[in-house]
Amino acid sequence: MGKKKNKQLLRPWCWYCEREFEDEKVLMQHQKAKHFKCGMCPRRLNTAGGLAVHIQQVHKLEPENLPRIENALPGRDGYEVEIFGMVGIPAPDVADYKRRKEIELGLSAGSISQPPQKKAKIENKVYSEEELKAQLQAHKALMGVSSSPEKPPAPESSAVYGAPPQAYAAPPVPASMMPPPGIMPPMHMSMGSPFPPGPSPPIPPGPPGLIPPFPPHVPGLPPGLPPGLSIDPAFPPGVPNLPPGISPGPTPPVPPGISPPPGVISPFAPPIHGMPPGPPPPGLNPAFPAPGLARPPIPPPSGWPPGGAPVLPPPQFIPASQQQPSAPPHSAQSQLDGNASSRPTQLTLPNPALSQTNPEFKKPTDLKYKDPNFAPEEHRGIHPKYYYHAKPTDGATAVAEESKGKKRARAEDFL
Amino acid sequence: MAYFSTASTAPGVSSTTSTAAEKDVEVSEPPSDSISSLAFSSQADYLAVGSWDNSVRIYEVGAGGQTQGKAMYQHSGPVLGVCWNKEGNKVFSGGADNAARMLDITTGQPTQVAQHDAPVKVLKWIDAPQAGILVTGSWDKTLKYWDLRTPTPVASVQLPERCYSLDVQYPLMVVGTAERHIQIYNLTNPSTPYKSIQSPLKWQTRVVSCFTASTSSGFAVGSVEGRVAIQYVEDKDSSNNFSFKCHRRDSTPSAKDQALVFAVNDISFHPVHGTFSTCGSDGTIHFWDKDARTRLKTFDAAPAPITTTAFNRNGTVFAYAVSYDWSKGHSGMTPGSPNKLMLHACKDEEVRKRPKKQ
Repeated sequence: MGKKKNKQLLRPWCWYCEREFEDEKVLMQHQKAKHFKCGMCPRRLNTAGGLAVHIQQVHKLEPENLPRIENALPGRDGYEVEIFGMVGIPAPDVADYKRRKEIELGLSAGSISQPPQKKAKIENKVYSEEELKAQLQAHKALMGVSSSPEKPPAPESSAVYGAPPQAYAAPPVPASMMPPPGIMPPMHMSMGSPFPPGPSPPIPPGPPGLIPPFPPHVPGLPPGLPPGLSIDPAFPPGVPNLPPGISPGPTPPVPPGISPPPGVISPFAPPIHGMPPGPPPPGLNPAFPAPGLARPPIPPPSGWPPGGAPVLPPPQFIPASQQQPSAPPHSAQSQLDGNASSRPTQLTLPNPALSQTNPEFKKPTDLKYKDPNFAPEEHRGIHPKYYYHAKPTDGATAVAEESKGKKRARAEDFL
Repeated sequence: MAYFSTASTAPGVSSTTSTAAEKDVEVSEPPSDSISSLAFSSQADYLAVGSWDNSVRIYEVGAGGQTQGKAMYQHSGPVLGVCWNKEGNKVFSGGADNAARMLDITTGQPTQVAQHDAPVKVLKWIDAPQAGILVTGSWDKTLKYWDLRTPTPVASVQLPERCYSLDVQYPLMVVGTAERHIQIYNLTNPSTPYKSIQSPLKWQTRVVSCFTASTSSGFAVGSVEGRVAIQYVEDKDSSNNFSFKCHRRDSTPSAKDQALVFAVNDISFHPVHGTFSTCGSDGTIHFWDKDARTRLKTFDAAPAPITTTAFNRNGTVFAYAVSYDWSKGHSGMTPGSPNKLMLHACKDEEVRKRPKKQ
């Protein structure tokens, strides 16, 4: 009965491409033809796992070389999820799809995503600590916003009110204070009754527009309370009660960096006259000001002379604009004067503003070499064992002299 | 197996036998510190080896895989790259002493031929029709072309970042730099890039290597995140671009998560068949066929990273260096860590292309 109703609203759909189908049979045919078809032979498999095994065993491809699932949406082209028709679709994706469907169909929230009996199975899973916390958070946000006393719900403001699926939806939550679904009292009478008496604020109905991804079946919430039940114009949106950390504070002003004194030539400060200071590359943390903002107009701080480097913290993973203030100018200066040819203990970027960061991994990964900015050889090159103490002028003249001496002979060789 | 059958009796083979790769021959008298670079001559089986001990060594590789030291010279700093000229009578090397040096095999005299403001990471010989040219790529963010007759470069090209890797397959030259820039040069116009792209891989570029024996020009890119991208130069071939994961290990033997991700240290293309090798910090080497997209061979894991690899001129010998690559910093440099130079005799089926599946 409920199933039939839902069927009209939500037809079987394919997780890989989000196409809808008349019934599950057609969906399965579609998946076999479009997603589980082997690219190397005409064989069609029933599931992604089957396809993976087929390709590995029949076509002898290593697991890491498996082609992605064809015609799939980005992020859904992997073999990790075992899909068979509508079976196996991850619960978050189901919820997400339903929510979008609701918006698309112009239905009020919850009309689909409140699953009927059959879907209750998915919702019925044990909620993880995080999910519970998130829901509690959402619930608190809902509850805490209103300072007005309890308002009677506007009964006919929502079509959802009293819809049968609602009654079934809420119960499957690990709830100790919750009455069993069957004996739920009528809506307007139940308000507050499952709550412990005391100073807890009166519970207003959920505000519009603040419906969390999961309807607030939080332990302790009256199961019958439907989201979006009342439209209360005086109700402030829940901004003040959002969990902290959402609104970013202003970035603290960064003092200008210290530019190396003119005339000191650093092996790590190559000439960059020819290079206009371009915009920071993608991947640069946007929280930090562009080079032009924080820096004095004099020569771009293209790097630290070797002597000045020791006072700097490790460059990797620390954006340049942060390390500058930590270097007291006078100490850097004195070191420069003192031992200009000494070995740097840290690598410094020619242009700290272009510091790179490694992208996030999709799954837990132990990347063995983590520095995005320097090659291992560069680190090795400044190790005391390997560091070459350059004498800038001598080297150049040496070439000239050596080359002069050999020039004639080699020219003859060539001819 | 007749090819290297005399290995165990060859006078050059050291007494320390390798358990990881029994069939492969270990070169005797290897460099005293990590091997940074390898290059075979294009004329004979001579192997030049650059090392962090500041030296360049040249070995003659015999038909049985036995080796003999032929020459050796020093830089003032660690050697980071080596190459040969086309005629096979000169060896070039670039080092952390900001210089490139040349050894004339006939005279045995090393001379400095190039100078940069920072270590010379890589250098290659460009066999241009008019005359051979040496190109050097440095961490000073420049490429310099040298004709060896003057102490000043013929041309100098500004790179967007420090040069990490460079490969030439005339007229194609590909330069991989820090911050994932890749510059593609057509050497008929060597002073301006033909194309400048961001690496198709999202992590630091370790190596770029040009296709050999290929109808359309392109190159492979290896990153620190165990991944190799095959990239074609021309847009019309871009549908053939792809990347694949490699040099990964499961975090525990039972978990199939491939969560330990190692850097790809080098990529070498087979000169005849156009297949290629990758080697990584995980100590493994694989041979691949980019067209059939299959793995052709996996070497047993060595007890230390593989830093660099090279095929000889006809692709019958594959040299690889088992050395520390500094991927774990100073602390990874244990006194007993292996530092070996190995030679592998390539069997035809390991390096020949497989027929493309459908």
